[in-house]
Amino acid sequence: MTQLSSSPAKIELCSVTHLYVTSTRAFMAIKGIDLRVEEGEFICLVGPSGCGKTTILSLIAGLERPTAGKVLIENQEVVGTSPRVGYMLQQDYLFNWRSIEENIFLGLDIQGIRNQETEEYALHLLEEMELADFRKSYPHQLSGGMRQRVALVRTLSCQPEILLLDEPFSALDYQTKLKLEDLIVATLRRHKKTAILVTHDLSEAIAMGDRLFILARNPGRINREIIIPERIREPLPFHARNQEGFTDLFNQVWKEMEGLTDASRGD
Amino acid sequence: MHPEEINRIHRGYLRNERKRTIYVILTQLIIFVVFLLLWEWLARIGVINVLLFSYPSKVWALFWQQLADGSILPHIGMTVIETIIGFILGTLLGTLIAIVIWWSPFLSRVLDPYLVVANSMPKVALGPLLIVGLGPGLLSIIAMACAISVIITTITIYTSFKEVNENYIKVVRTLGGNKWQIFMLVILPATIPSIVSTLKVNVGLSWVGVIVGEFLVSKQGLGYLIIYGFQVFNFTLVMVSVAIIAVVATLMYQGVAILERKLTNQFK
Ligand SMILES: Nc1ncnc2c1ncn2[C@@H]1O[C@H](COP(=O)(O)OP(=O)(O)OP(=O)(O)O)[C@@H](O)[C@H]1O
Ligand SMILES: [Mg+2]
Repeated sequence: MTQLSSSPAKIELCSVTHLYVTSTRAFMAIKGIDLRVEEGEFICLVGPSGCGKTTILSLIAGLERPTAGKVLIENQEVVGTSPRVGYMLQQDYLFNWRSIEENIFLGLDIQGIRNQETEEYALHLLEEMELADFRKSYPHQLSGGMRQRVALVRTLSCQPEILLLDEPFSALDYQTKLKLEDLIVATLRRHKKTAILVTHDLSEAIAMGDRLFILARNPGRINREIIIPERIREPLPFHARNQEGFTDLFNQVWKEMEGLTDASRGD
Repeated sequence: MHPEEINRIHRGYLRNERKRTIYVILTQLIIFVVFLLLWEWLARIGVINVLLFSYPSKVWALFWQQLADGSILPHIGMTVIETIIGFILGTLLGTLIAIVIWWSPFLSRVLDPYLVVANSMPKVALGPLLIVGLGPGLLSIIAMACAISVIITTITIYTSFKEVNENYIKVVRTLGGNKWQIFMLVILPATIPSIVSTLKVNVGLSWVGVIVGEFLVSKQGLGYLIIYGFQVFNFTLVMVSVAIIAVVATLMYQGVAILERKLTNQFK
């Protein structure tokens, strides 16, 4: 199986197929997905709505068991959720009855690792997101973008090895978004963390990722893999956007996506 | 617009509001007084049967007399204690059952038809069975109060447990939480408002259970006084008891309402 490298991949999906079965129908969300992510890599998933991006993240997070195929993390089959994998859901889902501070300590409470050190780390992250003033506030007092940043802090504060991000920047203003992109990439690189990011923003995907997967739908499958060239990969996302070749790559990905929507309109 | 003008408008608004509140309270008082006076007057001129409906001054006199010789206090005390115990037991037991069936979806499906039947069943019909089973006394009365509120509590709370957004549970699961943590960190805090609002319903239900229970078996309590007054044809005593029940039940309800406001403050 492991033809490419001798060491086990951080995350590996082996011909994973997943059906959502309800009383009215069995719906094939993804079919035959093969995916290999090395330690420290940053992977982006893009594709039309409903192509199974969230489903893939749920499978890696252990929230769902695949109908067929295997999901492996360091060669061990995923059978349930684990503190090693941090998953930021598509919406923030902050707990209204907890203050911001208590929200970001949630994971620490659950994993029984809440102490002065971990609390300080979480608060430090909150500060980096420029939300330190709001630690005593409640979620309903925050804007959508602020809530999203809090949810990100909640996920990061447990220091997971693998980070799954489902459109983490969708409710942010452009400036904050660019700043956060840099912050996240820098943090993840420093700690050699592995990440999978789902996004609808193609330039974001190209600027942040090491590799890019374009998915197609009905059923969800990997249509194409794009390896981001060294020159764009190296700098932080903000500068990556100014690198030579960025626009060309963007256009290439854009065409690829156009083809997909045309194809799905055809049938 | 000047600040003082804005201030003046605000003051005027407050003054108007206060006036309106006073009118409302005045009208409420007038309705009550007129009702009492009309009742008194109609009774005295013999339009309504004094023997059956008594009249306010007589009710008031009897109340004072009973209060003075201390004979009514044990009745009030007994009924209040029975209600509170029945209320607490019913709520706790109902919540507990809701937790158990939330925990086990299999059990919840198994018990579903039984809950539906138990809920549709008029619980007071079980009165005689309870008395046979638990003896003609305090125990049966409390069991009656409890029986009336327990099933509806279970159903309401279980329903609100199930309505908690799946994604909050996902958040806890991805952070590595187990089922117990899901319950303590999400389900319970998210449903505190609906649990507290069932308390308000349960206070009323417990009163029904206790009064009916006392009708059937007791030698003490307000329900007993009503039945006793009825049997010896002392309707003034019945009226005194009914009036006391109205006042005490309202007080208890308000107490729970205050508790509700305190507990649910942080949720809005
Ligand atoms: N719990 C579920 N039950 C049944 N069908 C589901 C469920 N979750 C997702 N699906 C279906 O599976 C398909 C893939 O869903 P998924 O949420 O993974 O898409 P997505 O790529 O994340 O879309 P989006 O970009 O809109 O978030 C969709 O067609 C959806 O209708
Ligand atoms: Mg999605």
